[in-house]
Formats: sequence, structure tokens, C-alpha cells
Amino acid sequence: MKYTLIHLNSSPYFSLACKEGLDLALVLATFEQPVDLCLSGAALALLTDNQTPTAEQGKNLHKLLAGLEFYDIENIFIEKHHSWLSDQPTWQGVQQLDEAEWQTLFSQYQQVFRF
Amino acid sequence: MQYTLLITGSPYQSKACHTALRFIRAALNKHPDSIKGVFFYEDAVLIGNQTAQPPRDEINLTKAWQEIAEQHSIPLYLCIAAAVRRGVINESESRRYELEQHTLAEHFQLEGLGTLVDLMNTTNKVIQFR
Repeated sequence: MKYTLIHLNSSPYFSLACKEGLDLALVLATFEQPVDLCLSGAALALLTDNQTPTAEQGKNLHKLLAGLEFYDIENIFIEKHHSWLSDQPTWQGVQQLDEAEWQTLFSQYQQVFRF
Repeated sequence: MQYTLLITGSPYQSKACHTALRFIRAALNKHPDSIKGVFFYEDAVLIGNQTAQPPRDEINLTKAWQEIAEQHSIPLYLCIAAAVRRGVINESESRRYELEQHTLAEHFQLEGLGTLVDLMNTTNKVIQFR
């Protein structure tokens, strides 16, 4: 059994990368593999509350966040100091890491996959 | 040491499939048993589209991967969900969706992400090319 970190860095609306990264996390968890998530860059848009994308804009991946705990995915990390996150309502299930914690995060897993 | 390759980069928008091909050739050249399998995910599944016809003066990536599979008995897996949504479909999926044609190239096979999880747990290291 390996500890896996899925790092989402792509916009949830620009491509399928975010969705397919989350799909992999859910499958790993379904197979009882320990998996954590971390978000950076454009993927942080996933956290914004009250998203109502149309079919053309893409799936509402934000709705998946609330269900992660049922898959035992309980660690979702972001880096602190994203000021825009405090300006608007966002999903509160994330753990904020300082710069040093963020940098050491990636060496704590046996495998890291980026989407 | 045995590796699994996870390729996620599009064959058209990135060099992921090209770089992975160079890696696997070098690895197999040095250690013939060093690769357990190759799993294509995201846009990388487009590598398994048998109807794509690259210009004759360019590398035929699909064919290059088929040769690796044939010569070294390396399984080439495409994520079934990622492939089907992109039109890379084998015979059984073609029947399921009541289509008249299938597009999966020879030596590639459609598998669920569970196969990737199995590869992760039975090889020393998974290397992602994106």
C-alpha cells in the first residue's frame, strides 16, 4: 500500500484534468488506498461556493468536495496567503499550510500525481 | 526495480508520449524486465486511436508504442472512461453503445482505474509523464 498525493493545479473549467484527477483520487480511496489532495493555482477555483456552471461550462466539481469524507479522503491541502480565498465564501474543508509545510508536503508521499 | 508508466499528456499537445517512449526504450535496453505496464490516462488515451493518420514525414507514435508492446510483451492500458469519452472504443464498447465501428488500435486495451491501482501496488515506482 502506497501513500498517494493528488496535486490539482488546473482550472476545473479549462480542461478535464481536475475532474480526472479527482476521479483517480476517488478510485484510489475506493480500493482503500490512502490518498490526500492538494490544490494550487487555477484549481483553487474549485473551492469557491455557489458555483452554478452551465452544461457548456462543465460539471460542477465543487459539489464533489462535500462527499470526499465518505471516501475517507480527509486531507485536502492548500497553501496559505491566498487573499482572494478570504474575500469570498469558499469550502471550509481544506487545511492551510504555510510555505515551509507546503514545500515539505510533496516529499511525504510515496507517489505524487499532478493534474 | 520495476516501473509502471502513467502517461497523461496528450500526444498532440505535449511531448509526454514521446518522452515516455524514449524512457521505455532506454529502460528496456538496460533491463528487459524493468517495465510492468503502461497506463494512459486523460488526453494520452488518444494514442490508442487507430484511425489517426499522422503525416508520413512525422513519427507514427501509435505504431511506435505498438512495436514496444509486441517486441517486449508490455501491456498498454487505456483508461476506459477517458478513452470512451474521447471516441477510442473497442469492439465490446462499440456494441454496448450500438455503434457501427470501433477505433481502438491493436495492442492497446481498455481497463478501469483499478488496473492502475493494481500496478501501483505491484511495482516499485510509478512515473508520470504529462
